Amino acid sequence: MTSTLNRRGFLQTTAAAALGAGLMPALARAQGEPLGIALVVPSPFGDVGWSHALAMGLDQVVAEYGDRVKITKLENIPEGPDADRIMNKVVADGNKMLIAGSFGYQNGAMQVARRNPDLSVLHASGFMVAPNFTPFAARNYQGTYLMGMAAAAVSKTGKLGSVSAFAIPELVSSINAFTLGAQAINPDIQVAVVWVNTWFDPAKEQEAARALLAQGCDVIYSNGQDTPSVVSICEETGAYVFNLNSSMLKYAPTKYLGCVATDWAPFFLQSVKAHLEGDFEGHTAYLGLAEGVIQPMDWNADIPSEVMTRITETQAQLTDGSMHVFTGPIARQDGGEAAAEGVILGDEDIVSMDWHVAGVTTPLPS
Amino acid sequence: MNLAGYRLARRDKASRKLAVVAPVVALLLSIALNFALYMAMGKNPVAVFQAMLIEPVISWPAFSEVLLKMTPLLLIAQGLAAGFRAKVINIGAEGQFILGAIFASAVPVWFPQISGLWVWPLMIVLGGIGGMLWAVVPAIWRVRLNASEILVTLMMSLIAAQLLNFLLVGPWKDPMGFNFPQSVIFPLDATLPLILPGTRVNVALAIALIWSVACWVYLQRSFQGYQLMVGGLAPQAAGYAGYSQSRAVWMSLLIGGLAAGLAGASEVAGPVGQLQRSIASGYGYSAIIVAYLGGLHPVGIVFSSLLIAILYIGGDNAMVSAGLPVAAVRVFQGSLLVCYLAAITLVRYRVIREPKGIRA
Repeated sequence: MTSTLNRRGFLQTTAAAALGAGLMPALARAQGEPLGIALVVPSPFGDVGWSHALAMGLDQVVAEYGDRVKITKLENIPEGPDADRIMNKVVADGNKMLIAGSFGYQNGAMQVARRNPDLSVLHASGFMVAPNFTPFAARNYQGTYLMGMAAAAVSKTGKLGSVSAFAIPELVSSINAFTLGAQAINPDIQVAVVWVNTWFDPAKEQEAARALLAQGCDVIYSNGQDTPSVVSICEETGAYVFNLNSSMLKYAPTKYLGCVATDWAPFFLQSVKAHLEGDFEGHTAYLGLAEGVIQPMDWNADIPSEVMTRITETQAQLTDGSMHVFTGPIARQDGGEAAAEGVILGDEDIVSMDWHVAGVTTPLPS
Repeated sequence: MNLAGYRLARRDKASRKLAVVAPVVALLLSIALNFALYMAMGKNPVAVFQAMLIEPVISWPAFSEVLLKMTPLLLIAQGLAAGFRAKVINIGAEGQFILGAIFASAVPVWFPQISGLWVWPLMIVLGGIGGMLWAVVPAIWRVRLNASEILVTLMMSLIAAQLLNFLLVGPWKDPMGFNFPQSVIFPLDATLPLILPGTRVNVALAIALIWSVACWVYLQRSFQGYQLMVGGLAPQAAGYAGYSQSRAVWMSLLIGGLAAGLAGASEVAGPVGQLQRSIASGYGYSAIIVAYLGGLHPVGIVFSSLLIAILYIGGDNAMVSAGLPVAAVRVFQGSLLVCYLAAITLVRYRVIREPKGIRA
């Protein structure tokens, strides 16, 4: 895609973007029109999960801006031609900010952004950047490291499991961090993964969870599920469980280990402000504990208090940057060395991570 | 059928006037039902219907999307209708569609740098072959082993979906795609030429229309088409006349598979532009509805595929512009189909009240 962007086209786009960014908000303000913001997600908003967390973030925007913003929320939009059409329609209807809530929308969202320089696009989990196109992702790995510490402390079998959606870097890095965190408490811990290859298939996810439980895993990491499918099975069978994005405590009142919640409000508020002031600038937004986007919560009372103290300390260090999750020595699953003693992996290594650390027993699909 | 003393009796002659009025009544009835629903939801019903039913027809960008959406439905439904007429019920078009997409994708996946004007026609042809090959299996099972083609075609669809998964998480995964289950993006020559400037409508629409004419000629004007229809309407008569039933099974399944394969190829080489899991979005199943709505007649199917496409695009519009939740969109689409089926039933049948004490 990027290769088709020649220099002349790029200059035109940038010039238009600069012009658009400078003029359009002023015009919109002059007419007193609210800023149209559209959110497109692949799964139902529901009460919990990824899409729900994105929608909650926008609620904060409404709370802050009131009538000056107009929100359109679109759920269940399959990636592909339908999403492309809907994103075009959203822009044709006059929305000036688009939040494309899934990696699979990348090509379509980028096309819309190029055709509409006065549009600001926030795209989840991608890698493409343009003057009016910001890819955003949460540093979930910071939270899963802490969860790994808790998991190792409560596990009796020394076997942890994860039901995971797709073997993309975002999920791979969070499993690796989970494993590293667990090894900080118990160096011999093992982590098994089942890749379900879906963002939303509760029946399949539950099957995967049962398979992991049958193998003796007694803590399950529900990685990328938009429903409490895995969480409720674990409560039934008495295994600890945690998940990302939004709390599912009510579905596992006794066995809920905790939640790596994402609060998108700070990022959305900042982006809306930038757009309204005409200085929205596409960049890679990789947000974690420090930005308040990653928020570990709902820790289970079964976690031993001395481990809980260590977790709290570690969280503070990760937040102020005095500690990094991927600090060497890190051994790969295949026996190679991912990072030598004292080496800290950079963001570019984390966002393209396609290998597992030693301790993850399942090979990565290739 | 007997419900609380009422039964349906087939009319000797369906009234032509009723047949025209029935769809209109169905539309008005479903609008009335949903009008109440939208009022209860606090939405403006006029704005909803404007976005859902009017805009897809009067706005050119929206109508071009209707044509794009209609293309695979039209292709597949025409192919399926040939079989349905012969009472060979192929409900596995979804799987044949996927195989068509896979076969077509083989070209750009194996030769990502390929160029030449012959590339997309080759992909379309390969897609048709892929769809047909997938339909060969149920044909053999039906002819040789007398296994129900309804079950076998459906199960073959599940296998096709897993085959697609396997290719996308394994050998055909884009090496630069961050492990996402999708193929490389196809080069320009491996995508279908656009035929209406400024839209996404591509040459597949022309193929679908030509295919519709071919189906009309085959079914309405050829001896083989006649044999298929007789085989479906009166299997014993067809047997006495010496029409081969296994040939009817073969032709039905191959035509259905070919059509679905063409549609699969034109979807990956058309608006999608790469092989990915979301290509299997249910066209193969929707086309069954399209085929029956169109009365299994090639001309009727052109209109029914247009109608269903309008409902899809209008539903999307209503979500975006009128803030209607996706569930309410589905309710409208479903209620329209139910009202239509009820209306069409009353065109063909009369309601008769049974005298008390007599059992039918």
